[in-house]
Amino acid sequence: MDGLAAVTKEPGNVLEVRGAAKSFGRRTVFRGVSLDLGPGEVVGITGENGAGKTTLLRIVVGLLPPDEGSVAVRGRLGYCPQDMAVFDTLTVRENFAFFAAAYGLGGSGRGGPWAGEMARLLAYFHFPQYEAAVVSTLSGGTRQKLNFCLSVLHGPDLLILDEPYSGFDWETYLHFWDFAAGFKKRGRSILVVSHFVYDRTPFDRVYKLGRGGLACA
Amino acid sequence: MRLRNVRTGWLMTLRELGRSRIALILCFVVPSVFYAVVFLITTQRAIAFKLASVSEEALVSVSQRNEGLVFIGLAAVGVLTSFLALHLTQKHPEVNRRLILCGYGTTELLASKFLALVVMIALIGCYVGAITPLFFRPRRFLLVLAGFMAAGYVYGSYGLLVGALVKRELEGILFIVLLANIDIGWLQNPIYYAEAQNKALIRHLPAYFPSQLSMVAAFTDKSVLNPALGSLVYGTVLLAAALVIYSRRMKLWK
Repeated sequence: MDGLAAVTKEPGNVLEVRGAAKSFGRRTVFRGVSLDLGPGEVVGITGENGAGKTTLLRIVVGLLPPDEGSVAVRGRLGYCPQDMAVFDTLTVRENFAFFAAAYGLGGSGRGGPWAGEMARLLAYFHFPQYEAAVVSTLSGGTRQKLNFCLSVLHGPDLLILDEPYSGFDWETYLHFWDFAAGFKKRGRSILVVSHFVYDRTPFDRVYKLGRGGLACA
Repeated sequence: MRLRNVRTGWLMTLRELGRSRIALILCFVVPSVFYAVVFLITTQRAIAFKLASVSEEALVSVSQRNEGLVFIGLAAVGVLTSFLALHLTQKHPEVNRRLILCGYGTTELLASKFLALVVMIALIGCYVGAITPLFFRPRRFLLVLAGFMAAGYVYGSYGLLVGALVKRELEGILFIVLLANIDIGWLQNPIYYAEAQNKALIRHLPAYFPSQLSMVAAFTDKSVLNPALGSLVYGTVLLAAALVIYSRRMKLWK
């Protein structure tokens, strides 16, 4: 998502959110949200239903404008939305091809440079057998795997994940965190939003989002 | 605009359309049923009417059935392409926005949808054109076919515009029904507008030029240059408006 990239004020940060505020009509969702994310950091944001977690992420990636404040991103961004944003009448492979074109990784041909990375992701998350399957025929969990894999196909520097493991079984959940650990080891950063944080071990920091902004959780 | 992205988007859109098999079948069943109904309910009695785009005041006298067949062919192509175009712009808004976030150009995306629509216009237009000679022999068949394509282009662009303007499917359908029913489904039939009190209104509706193109080509040897150019301009204006509105809707805040 190079179009989103802007220069962060601190050279060490991959993400800077400063005083972000958002209201819908008279309803204030949040105000005064500030957040820094450095290379190789994994940060979690939790909060009650309606606290504005998804809204905050949509502001960070550029889908929604904030009413106040600023957002700066350094490097390539990967975004996995909460709602399944995949083409359900295309196959798994065709979805990869479409997103590879968007990332500038080549066309839809069989030998595209993205095909190797797709094969690696399918094998890692245990669904290579569905490569030629139309997405509408897949289970919710497999669709969620695809939803996630599309966000990392281009090797982003910062990964923004909105409820990424809500449809995963336990084994896939563990695989997800293995993947995240490898991602972190390569100096890349992850911002995760989730209703629940079961295990704080993978996180460097966890915040709770409320009307007054982010607070350490 | 990156042509490789347009090609990828075009191929993917065609694959998506290809998997909607029942809808695809209906795209060919609908004109067949329309033609069959007109064939069954009309007579060969001669009717006389004036063609609005022909400068002379001469009356054209043709069989009621033949006039009805050309008119219903236009209506079938226009309505079907309009709904297909609506479907193309309204389906998957969140996935399309995600693609744009990932680097796809809005123009690339709309161009790929439009090109997929062009394929469908060609398929439906050619099919309707191909079955027309089974019922009667138009004077200039290829130009009648061009009129069907023009109806697809103008109404396809209108469908893209409606899809860009409104988010909900039902609203989109009603917008298309609102115009298509009154325009290509009623007022552009020469039998109605020949005696209409306010022809200026009819001449400004989207189906005017395509229907004139087909009617003039089917029943006279007069020039079809004006209706052909008019169709091209009308469709292009609608298409440009669709692109502007679609781009605004898909725009990212930074």
